[in-house]
This record gives sequence, structure tokens and C-alpha cells, in this order.
Amino acid sequence: MPIKRRAEGKALKCKVCERDAAKRDFCLVHLEAYEKMVEKYVVWAKALKTSWREYLSEIEQNPLTGEWIREVTSYLINNEETRNVKEG
Amino acid sequence: MGKYTLIITEKPDAASRIASALDAEGKAKKIVEKGVPYYMAKRSGDIVVVPALGHLYTIASKKRGKRSYPVFDFHWVPRYLAERGATRIRTWLKVISNLAESAAKFIDACDYDIEGSIIGYSILKYACGNKESLAQRMKYSTLTKEELEKSYTKPLARLDFALIEAGLTRHEVDWLYGINLSRALTTAAKNCSGKYVTLSTGRVQGPTLKLLETRERRIKCFVPTPYWSLKAKVKIGGAVFEAEYKKKVIQIKAEAEAIINSCKGEDGETEKIEMKEFQQTPPLPFNLGSLQSEAYRLFRYTPMRTSRIAQRLYLDALISYPRTSSQKLPPIIEYEAILKKLSKTHEYAKLTAELLAKPALKPTEGKKKDPAHPAIYPTGNMPDRILNSAERNIWDLVVRRFMAVFGELAILQRAKVTISINENRFQLHGRQTLKEGWLRFYKPYLKSEDAILPPMKEGKKVGVKRVVLEDKFTKPPSRYNPSSLLRRMEKEEIGTKATRAGIIQKLHSRRYIREESIVVTELGFEVVDVLKKYCPAVVSIELTRKLEESMNEIQQGKETRENVLKDTIEILKPVTEKLIEKEHIIGASLSQALQKAKLEERVVGACPICKNGKLVLLRSRKTGKRFIGCTNYFEGTCKTSFPIPQKGLVKPLGNVCKNCGWHTVWIWIKGKRSWNLCFNPKCPLKEERKEKL
Repeated sequence: MPIKRRAEGKALKCKVCERDAAKRDFCLVHLEAYEKMVEKYVVWAKALKTSWREYLSEIEQNPLTGEWIREVTSYLINNEETRNVKEG
Repeated sequence: MGKYTLIITEKPDAASRIASALDAEGKAKKIVEKGVPYYMAKRSGDIVVVPALGHLYTIASKKRGKRSYPVFDFHWVPRYLAERGATRIRTWLKVISNLAESAAKFIDACDYDIEGSIIGYSILKYACGNKESLAQRMKYSTLTKEELEKSYTKPLARLDFALIEAGLTRHEVDWLYGINLSRALTTAAKNCSGKYVTLSTGRVQGPTLKLLETRERRIKCFVPTPYWSLKAKVKIGGAVFEAEYKKKVIQIKAEAEAIINSCKGEDGETEKIEMKEFQQTPPLPFNLGSLQSEAYRLFRYTPMRTSRIAQRLYLDALISYPRTSSQKLPPIIEYEAILKKLSKTHEYAKLTAELLAKPALKPTEGKKKDPAHPAIYPTGNMPDRILNSAERNIWDLVVRRFMAVFGELAILQRAKVTISINENRFQLHGRQTLKEGWLRFYKPYLKSEDAILPPMKEGKKVGVKRVVLEDKFTKPPSRYNPSSLLRRMEKEEIGTKATRAGIIQKLHSRRYIREESIVVTELGFEVVDVLKKYCPAVVSIELTRKLEESMNEIQQGKETRENVLKDTIEILKPVTEKLIEKEHIIGASLSQALQKAKLEERVVGACPICKNGKLVLLRSRKTGKRFIGCTNYFEGTCKTSFPIPQKGLVKPLGNVCKNCGWHTVWIWIKGKRSWNLCFNPKCPLKEERKEKL
């Protein structure tokens, strides 16, 4: 079910696309991508000792990165939401 | 002419071949009546061979003219009543009916499979006036004269009613699924957007699209993770070989670097040499699925194309009936006679002689059986026309595979040399063929070649040129291509050998998928989402497989048509009710997806200038001219634009120019050859051409 803004009664949109948001302000597609990114960060950190910010920039540039992952990454990089996860 | 035997075939080509084969002088007379060809042959009595044009009858709703759903009442009608543009069928059926009036005996000579059986049955029942119970059945697997004569003189006493019953059920179940679900999707989208676009899904289409969607989801959600591999370049006998580090994947960079450091300046030593002989059994005979896969691997022919080519070769009596799932070659096909005929061709003379010299010919066979036909094999006949290159390729492939299945086991040797460099173990791999066996027959189509290592001894020093660290990333799952998707469908037992290729084609034409390396479009995602949300049963592979099983059971007499149809309606009733209830929401999301799909079709690729915009095909509002422009123009951040020809069809190709890496478009102007255009004005190839001029 889409999250509703109480005051407006309108469905909240995903931060990345125009779809209705499901959780953490992401639609189902981008939420799945975001969760996958967080999961894989553990592997990157162990392999290269990269920070979350470096990780985002690495996967954004990697041609093998999936389209939805890239969309979330670009959003996070451009909107400076990089600290939350690393420290959270 | 007095009373005659009326033979019904599936297609005009088959009618011509059967008539010539059965005529005592081999010269059947062709008559064309109102554009419908049929053939008269003389044997012990008069024979008339009349072809169908594929299916002449189809299923239609009993309520005429309304595009409403749900629809559960149907009947079989001539195709011209159900399909627009099928007016020719009316004349065709009239000619068959007239010929049936003076016929004394009826023989169904359509292909011996589900489709062929239904074609013959419906003509005998409806066009010939309930002659299905009197008719005999010709059963053959090749269109060679000998086999056709044999099947005519010893026909089956009656039609295969179990096969017909199973076929009719399949058609009816598929129709019920297709009509109800497709109408639900189309109506929902139309009522929301006001525009009519055909959206379809079905019993096989839905689960197939879901398979693709699941893979696409994994690709779109893929995060590459780094890993490292090490290779030691070692010098043995004057040549340099690459030995791989024993652990193929190193997940921590520091660990890989530590190994490199410990190898620096060190020599290697051959620690262990392992030789292993292994056998490679001959391949299995081709059935349609494996022929389609192999043709795609070797020539990149789509399954549909291979199927069409194989059908042409069958009609030319060069190969046996291709729509088979069998992996068996029974002795009745006469291996020796086929090989003797093939030996007349210079190309196969030596190879066939080798096989004919064997004391006994025993083919390697697989487990799959087909009650109607053996595996695909060459008839041994030589082409009586010049085959085009694609036909030649498929024919040669079938011939070589046929020879290979009679070949001996191939014996190969694998060598694994472990080289220790300062206690770090690297492995060198080699492969050598000791006895060619069946490989000789299939040589042009073999995958791997020998990698022969020089003679080595354990405990000897090996010079190490250097140890290389390779940065690698895990790769996303590979996309399905027509061949791998076909194999998967076969594995999941969805669809039949005759329908699978058509289903893939349909998904393309509905714009649910695009490109050869299959990409699911926004529309494809949305259709699966709708089906998953509101009627998960119809995209379930389990359900489709269960239905296939039921239909096989009908063929074996263990299940009835009525029961299967009842079950189908029971599944579909609640589904359609839910779809009607949610029509508004479904319509909104489908319309949105349709709009996105339209935009997606215009996307050429990423903008090479601003890097984060997309280049799309646009039309200027001022001048009406079309061009390629960046989507960031509307944000005011990128003004990149390129001219393109104003005439003809333009389609984004999805691939890049080999010279500059920019995306390309496909252009086709009527009357001219199509070409791929790189719109980069500074493409090195263009500069080169300019210089030459």
C-alpha cells in the first residue's frame, strides 16, 4: 500500500521515480534495489575497505551495475544521502 | 471422372508432393479452381489430393460482434467468420466441399501431430459433411516417394481420435485463457486512456513473460562485487603459457597482493602432473528444440527461422518431419539406405563410407519419445533445387548430426600441471584428442579445440615471466536469447514444440520484450505486475504444466475434454471477476506503462556529451523535422542534437558504433537497402572516408 501524507491525503511518490512510494520513500522497485545495495556493501567493504560514499561512486560508474541500482545510486549521490547508511 | 479417393493435406506443397508420389507415372495433374489448387493422380483408381491452408476452422465466441468478457461459450467456425482478411478461406472450403461430394473414400494426410490432426479432422467433419468417422489416416515422417506410397497402401483404419481430442482441448483451453485475459487487459487500458492498443496474454504467454521478468529483475537489481584472480606467465620449452592460481576467486584484494609479493623474483617448479583420459559420447539425434538451439548457437538463426527452414527442407523431402520431440532413430528408417544415398555427395562420401564399413549401425539415442515421429534425420535425397545458404546450413547440420550419432566414442586426455611458485600453487590446463570418434563427423560445428602442452616432468624448474593480478567483477545473470528461452520453456514444460517459437515472437510483437538478447520493456513489467497482483494463477508455471499434463492424459485416454474445460472455466471465472472489479486501477497502470514503452522505443542511448541524459528521437514543433536530441534539453542543461534523414523508418538499434562507441540507429527508406547510421559527426570512420575522398 502506498504511504499517504496525512495532511494532503495524497500518495507519496518514490524519491527516484514517479511510482507510489512503499517504504523508506522508495517504490517497490527502488526499495528492492536499495536493500540489495546495502546488502552488497558488506562484501565491498571487506574486499576493498571502501567507505559507503566510495562504494556508491564505484557502482555508479560500473557498467555491470543494474539499471535500478544505478538510479538509486545517482539519487543518493546527488542528494547527499550518503551518511545515513554508512553510519546506520 | 467417377468416384475417387479424396486425400486432404495440410499445405499446397505437401499436396503436390503426395500427388506426384502416388501417381503411377509420377505426373499428377494440377487443377486450379477459383484460385484453389488441387491435384489429380491415377493409380489403381482415381485420386484427388486437395490441400488446406493450415487451419481452416477456428474457435469463436457464440456471441457475435461484442468484445466483452468473460466469454465461456464458444464453437468451431470457418476462419473467415472469425478473422478479418480470411475471405479466401470461404472459396477454399467451397472447393473442398464440392470435391467431397463425389468422393468415395477419404484419407487424412495432414502432418501426424496435434495441429495436423485437427486440420484434417475439422475439414472432414465440417467441410466434407461428417466424414471423420469414415476417413483413413496416412502416417509418414518424410515426404519421400517410398514412404508416401507405403503410407497410402497401408493407411491407419481410422483417425487418431485421442490425439484430436487432446488437440481440440488444447485449442479451447488456450482460447479461453487468451480471449478473457487479453480482453481484460486491452479493455482496461482502452477505457482509461481512450486509445486502443492490443494487449495480450495467455496460458503460455503469461508464464513465459514471467520467466523473463524474473531474470530482468535480477539484472536490473544487480550489484557487481569485486574479486581478483591471478595468472602466472610461465616459460616452458620456449613457449609462454598462462597458469591460473589454484583459488580462482580471491575476494580480498590484500590477500591477492600478498600472493603476488611472495611470488616476486621466484622461479616455479612442476609439482604434480595429472593426466586423465575421458570419453565423450556421441551427441543425441536432433529434435526440434535441440535443432533450434544448435542453429542459434552456430548461425544465430532464431527458433522461428530454423523452424521455417526445417519445414521447407521437409517439404522438399530432404529431412524428416521436424516438429518432433523424439530423440530416437528406429531401425525402420533404414540407416544404411540413407547413408548410401548420402555417399553420392562428394562432401559426405568419405564419412559415410567409414560408417558403412562398420559391422553394425547403432545410433546414440536420448530418452525422449514422440509417439508420432522419430527424431529429425536426413532422407538421403539430394536437393532438386539450389538451396539458399540458410537452408544449406540447416541441411548440412542435420546430415552431420545424423552421421555423428552413429560414430564411436571420442577419447580425450586432460592434463593438469601444478606449478608451485614459492609455495603458491598455479595450475596449467591442457587438452588433447586421442581418438576422434564421432568428432570427425561433426567437426565444423565443434566448440572447443585442443590445447596441447609440451612434454613436462615433475620436479623440474619453470621460468616465471611474471604474475599478473586481474581485477574482476561478478557478472549479472545473462539475458535470455531466443534459444536459451526456448530451452528453458522446454525444461519447464510450458508450451509445445510447435508453439514455443511463436510465443517468443508474439511477446516481441506485443512489445513486452525487445532485442535479440531479450530485454523486458516497461510494458512487459506492468503486464506481469498486473497478472501477479490480480490473477497469480495465470502466470504460474505449475498451473500451466498441470494443464499440459491433463492434455497428455486426454491423449492417453485417462482424462476427458469436458473435465479439463470445466477446470479451466473454474479457474478463469474468479480471475475475470477480479479483473473487472479492478479495471480502473489496472487500466491506469497499463496506460502509464504504454506511454513509457512508447518513450522507451524512441530512446537511442545515453547522451555522450552530458553523460546523464538520454538521446531520443524527437520532432521539432517549429519545423516538423525530426532529429536526435538529449532529454536534458528540457531541464536546460544539455543542448546536444543531431540531424537524421527526414525520410523513411528510423529505429534505435540498441548497439554501438564499432569505431566511436556512440549509439546507432537503423534507417530504412522504401526501395533502398537499410543501413545503420552512426550520428556522431566526428566518428573516425567518417573522417577516414572524408580523407579518402
